[in-house]
Amino acid sequence: MPAPLLPNLSRRRALQTLACGFGQLALAGLAAPRNAHAAGPLSPHLPKIAPRAKRIIFLFMAGGVSHVDSYDYKPKLQQEDGRMLDFADLRSLAKTGKSPQQRVMRPLWNFAQHGESGLWASDLFPNIAQHADKLCLVRSMHTEGIAHGPATLFLHTGTTTFVRPSMGAWISYGLGSENENLPGFVTISPSLGNGGPRNYGNAFLPPVYQGTAIGRAGIAAKDATIGNLHSPRTPAEARRQFDFLQELNAEQLRQKPGDSELEAVIHSYELAWRMQGAAPGVLGIEDESPETLAMYGIGEKATDNFGRQCLLARRLCESGVRFVQVNYGDNTNNPAWDQHSNLKKHGDHAQAVDRPVAGLLADLAQRGLLEDTIVWWGGEFGRTPYAEKNGTGRDHNPAGFSIWLAGGGFKPGFTYGETDEWGHHAVVNKVHMHDLHATLLHALGLEHEALTYRYAGRDFRLTDVHGRVVHDLFV
Amino acid sequence: MRFRPLTFSLFFMPLSLSAVESGNDYFEKRVRPLLAERCYECHSAEKKIKGGLNLDSRDGWAKGGDTGPAVLPGEPDKSLLLEAVRYANRDLQMPPKQALSPQELAVLEEWVRMGAPDPRTEAPAAKKQTGLSVEKGREFWSYAPLRLPALPEVRDTSWPRTAIDRFLLAKMEQSGTAPAPDAAPEALARRLHLNLTGLPPSPGQLDAFLKDAAGDRAGAIARLTDSLLESRRFGEAWGRHWLDVARFAESSGGGRTLLFKDSWRYRDYVIDTVNADVPFDRFIREQIAGDLLVAETPADRRRNVTATAFLALGATNYEEQDKQQLRFDIIDEQLETLGRAFLGQTIGCARCHDHKFDPIPQRDYYALAGVLASTRTLENYTDNVARWISAPLPSEGAREAEILHREQQIALVRKELDAAKAELAEASKSVTAASTKPGKSVEPSQLVGIVIDDSEAKVVGEWKHSTHVRSFIGKGYLTDDNTAKGEKTITFTPAIPKTARYEVRLAYTHAAGRANNVRVNILHADGEDTVFVDQTEPPPIDGRFASLGKFRFEQDGAGYVMVSNEGSNGFVTVDALQLLEEGTQPAPRAEAAALPGQEARKKVRELEASLKKLNQEGPFRDMAMAVRDEDKIGDTQLRIRGVERQKGESVPRGFLQVALASRQEPLPADTSGRRELADWIASAANPLTARVQVNRVWGWLFGTGIVRTVDNFGTTGEVPSHPELLDYLAIRFQEEGWSLKKLVREIVLSRAWQTEVRASPAADPENRLFSHTNRRRLNAEQIRDAILSVSGKLDLKEGGPNIGGAGEIDANTTAAQNVEYSYVYTDVRRSVYTPAFRNKRLELFEVFDFGNINQSISQRNTSTVAPQALYLLNHPFVVENAAAAAERSLNAPLEDEARLANAYIEVLGRRPSLKEAQIARRFLDESRSTPAEAWAQLYQMLFACMDFRYMD
Repeated sequence: MPAPLLPNLSRRRALQTLACGFGQLALAGLAAPRNAHAAGPLSPHLPKIAPRAKRIIFLFMAGGVSHVDSYDYKPKLQQEDGRMLDFADLRSLAKTGKSPQQRVMRPLWNFAQHGESGLWASDLFPNIAQHADKLCLVRSMHTEGIAHGPATLFLHTGTTTFVRPSMGAWISYGLGSENENLPGFVTISPSLGNGGPRNYGNAFLPPVYQGTAIGRAGIAAKDATIGNLHSPRTPAEARRQFDFLQELNAEQLRQKPGDSELEAVIHSYELAWRMQGAAPGVLGIEDESPETLAMYGIGEKATDNFGRQCLLARRLCESGVRFVQVNYGDNTNNPAWDQHSNLKKHGDHAQAVDRPVAGLLADLAQRGLLEDTIVWWGGEFGRTPYAEKNGTGRDHNPAGFSIWLAGGGFKPGFTYGETDEWGHHAVVNKVHMHDLHATLLHALGLEHEALTYRYAGRDFRLTDVHGRVVHDLFV
Repeated sequence: MRFRPLTFSLFFMPLSLSAVESGNDYFEKRVRPLLAERCYECHSAEKKIKGGLNLDSRDGWAKGGDTGPAVLPGEPDKSLLLEAVRYANRDLQMPPKQALSPQELAVLEEWVRMGAPDPRTEAPAAKKQTGLSVEKGREFWSYAPLRLPALPEVRDTSWPRTAIDRFLLAKMEQSGTAPAPDAAPEALARRLHLNLTGLPPSPGQLDAFLKDAAGDRAGAIARLTDSLLESRRFGEAWGRHWLDVARFAESSGGGRTLLFKDSWRYRDYVIDTVNADVPFDRFIREQIAGDLLVAETPADRRRNVTATAFLALGATNYEEQDKQQLRFDIIDEQLETLGRAFLGQTIGCARCHDHKFDPIPQRDYYALAGVLASTRTLENYTDNVARWISAPLPSEGAREAEILHREQQIALVRKELDAAKAELAEASKSVTAASTKPGKSVEPSQLVGIVIDDSEAKVVGEWKHSTHVRSFIGKGYLTDDNTAKGEKTITFTPAIPKTARYEVRLAYTHAAGRANNVRVNILHADGEDTVFVDQTEPPPIDGRFASLGKFRFEQDGAGYVMVSNEGSNGFVTVDALQLLEEGTQPAPRAEAAALPGQEARKKVRELEASLKKLNQEGPFRDMAMAVRDEDKIGDTQLRIRGVERQKGESVPRGFLQVALASRQEPLPADTSGRRELADWIASAANPLTARVQVNRVWGWLFGTGIVRTVDNFGTTGEVPSHPELLDYLAIRFQEEGWSLKKLVREIVLSRAWQTEVRASPAADPENRLFSHTNRRRLNAEQIRDAILSVSGKLDLKEGGPNIGGAGEIDANTTAAQNVEYSYVYTDVRRSVYTPAFRNKRLELFEVFDFGNINQSISQRNTSTVAPQALYLLNHPFVVENAAAAAERSLNAPLEDEARLANAYIEVLGRRPSLKEAQIARRFLDESRSTPAEAWAQLYQMLFACMDFRYMD
């Protein structure tokens, strides 16, 4: 690393002027956006809540996992399998205002109680089930959006329609990053579809808070990296060229003293140079032991890809990244878990993620990281307890579904909320997606009603005018 | 499962208790605690009053909330409160977190049945009024009428060159600040070129200007300005500004992204408009109501229709399943964009309630929404994934004649085809007659391929078995009896013996009154398709089958064919399903050969073939994304809390009251009112329009606006630093025929615009006085175009489509999305022509703050972030263009010193300083690479250095 070219530039000054794209010390109020009036006098003033966790790993199951086949045990579906009954099918209602009869469809996987907690789970995810006593299972989720696009955007940004910052961007904005050489918000293998970049975008927040994509859906995880990290020249040439550049910059700055923005340019180059050195080490997994690789299922065909993504998530967390999203999906309109037909295919997807996720839980636990890391597993919605069009799959169900949380101060081995007897609508201790957002922010020490940003004349927040913290989920 | 009204509540105790308790006792003992515990949290004066409903007083529930009285005493089944707590209406479920227990529910039901005794007669706290009233609002600076100010007096009369200078200097003198010296001619040349054309001056252009300016600086600047304004490049640079405002994009982005394959026409329209200096007020009218304007020529009509894409370019979520919701989301997006683009207003804030700060009542929102609800933006409201409107455009001269000829031919063939089909139908009747005799039906086993009779299909809903039309397969066929549309389906689940492509055929019977739009869904190995069958036509194959297409099915894989009566417009019949493996032809059968009507069938086939050919061959009519007036024109209803389904009172169509110069005239009953809306916006009497636009132009030229919140002229925006200057410019703009070029010219020829860049004085740290020029970053397009022009690779081809393969594709399909997802950016045209996808962007744009093209913006963010540094250090685009620039330079016969000076002039628009030349020479001297490589590295670092990225 070259010696800093501007030794007299104070650290405080650097903090004020350098909006380093990778979330360096993006503490609210310090990383003053360039557009001074865009921040206005109402930049976030955060009440002091004791944080329970420092970071989140979000394992996004794109397409919608069937909760009635995984975590929401409904014996009634077994008993009434095949019966034609009245259900308030949300898609039919949205389209026609009416709902035809639907055929009840039994779960294709068997349920049992697991661990000391006796948490109900099916054998769809047998490895994760072994960690039942780590899970805080929420079975009463409900959300907005019947189609993938709207629901996926809602999951990430709190709205089905409007262009709003994603949750990771809000968290970066609120907390910044713990590592000055790395981004605060990273998404691994994101999809181009169903909102694409909007799902990790900053919208009107300063660009510094946007998510950094590592790879994208369709690119093998082993080839995924941060863009432009590698110089096309030999290390010596690259270094010589870089020194030349910084010398030029210093000379040009000398001609225009006192411009903090120009100083920021020089710092952005220094940071970039440090990142070139530091990031490949974090992104590579060469130094991991064979045992660790095996835990994640790396090296085995079914689990290699998602295993690498999960391992990378752990490494990023260790390096101080605040919000890591791991995507299990693809670029299609009917992403991975979207089994409108042939529900059996859920089994393939489960196989791809089960061991890696279980490995991640075990690995975080053994490293003591699970205490202050929240693992959030879930999709944009669940699936219907009846067969779609009387076929072999299930349609989307935003009215009731399950997600689980682990670590980060959430109650382990705990089950919260209920859907109705069919698993269709959440009815007891309902948790809306807005509520989940509020709860996750709270766990990180952020008050969802106070984490606001003034834009176009009003204060915006992730939860709009909704959201309540579900305190029952906390230890 | 649909929640049943909880009738078992009758078994609980309240009935017996009510007999012994007085009404008020019952309320106090049972109801009040329940309300307090489960409802007051959100419905009491003390806590919150959600939905306008107060449950802490009798008046509260009697008056009710936004949706009307909550309780009708004695009428449990008509009381909204009970509807909500019964959880039977999915839009109204209270308490939202957890339903009441059956016991609690029974208490409330009994209470209402008793007549809802309630001793709480104290008045609820009155609602607070928020926001500014319309009357008060008219006094706010931006809503007040424009006023031409007198030119201010200044002490230093030698400095000002134009009226603008007088206004600025007067303020500077008041605060004791002196204007900065004039900028050096090199800096000024680069500033002018970049601001007006988006490209840096070439060494030749720079040289010519410097020579000209040496003799007559002011004259040289004016001459350069005029030539740049006349350059086609001006339209590209300034059209780009407007494209930001119009949130121009070539895909929808939201949710399932769809390809806006014709939106490039709007882009070209904007560029042409700027180049032709079309008056801005006309530009407004064209974009809002072009389709309703009278066009003198086909070219005018093309422009006018194309312009209305402005209303259709939003980041619409076309797959939203509730299409009325989608309609209102689109209207909301249109209002938000219109408001920001033309009026600097945040109209969207009034969708759910009166604007909290600005004088925009919710009624105004719905008055405007009525205009847009009377406007059609979607093709229909039934498609699963909706689509925008593609409007046909007229052409001119020979081309139009050719297109017309083709269209007439198509119409002709269609007509003949109809006749032939009618003939065939006649013949088919005799087929039917011929097979009327019992036994003329065919057994499935007599047919080839996989055949499933309707009797083996899964049937949902009530289908009637029929043998009325006798040419059926098996024992008869099924009909939906033309009732219960959307509730009946028949699903065939064929067992697939072998993975292959199969032709799928549906057998139905034909008679009068059939539907012509029978929806059939085919789930096959590659996805799901929907096909519509016209059962008003006799089955084209053997008088029994219609082909649904060829699909791949996997052995033992999931697959089905589902016929639905959803949305069908007549009787739907289903007889059987046949799957024929591709390549196998059904063996000719005696009965088929014997069918009469062979002649007619042959003719139909021939005509269909020639129709297909005509449809495939051009010349095609140009299509544009556009809007049109809705079939039904009318006012719309206010939506309570912005919820589409919760309709309030109807609001007459109209505009923002606060910005109305005179009384709101009722809008015509036969058109949407867009024309009138456009006239109101484009009127010289509108206090906002001209102010917003001149301020925006000022901001694009100076870096900050006179009002710095360029898109927000409401009360939460900033006030103008120079209100008189703003009004002066706005009135000049109007008087000069709303000419953009004249406005730009007036601003750049001011002395204030030509000052040099310097640090802000302490007294005015943000340069609100415009005493000097702000150093500004080149935007993403300027960076890209400058690199390409230095390397010599820039292609100046103008306009036209720029997405390979987009023209022929159905924009609503997965194939169209793949055009975006798999797009490789390779072209070297100006950045304004780079495909503007919302989900997959050119990396350089993403890194250098191209801006969020999902919404209207007129001032982009500027960030200084490490990914920019990484991009310039390592991205192949920069590396390769630097190499090309070096190669070009080395081909020129120059001494190294001159070559270095030339490189600086090309990239930075100036010669190197002594120190810079020294550093560069050392870098070149110490290189152990080839000269080509050394010079390539040097060019790359010039692209990377800060002076390239900034404009002085």
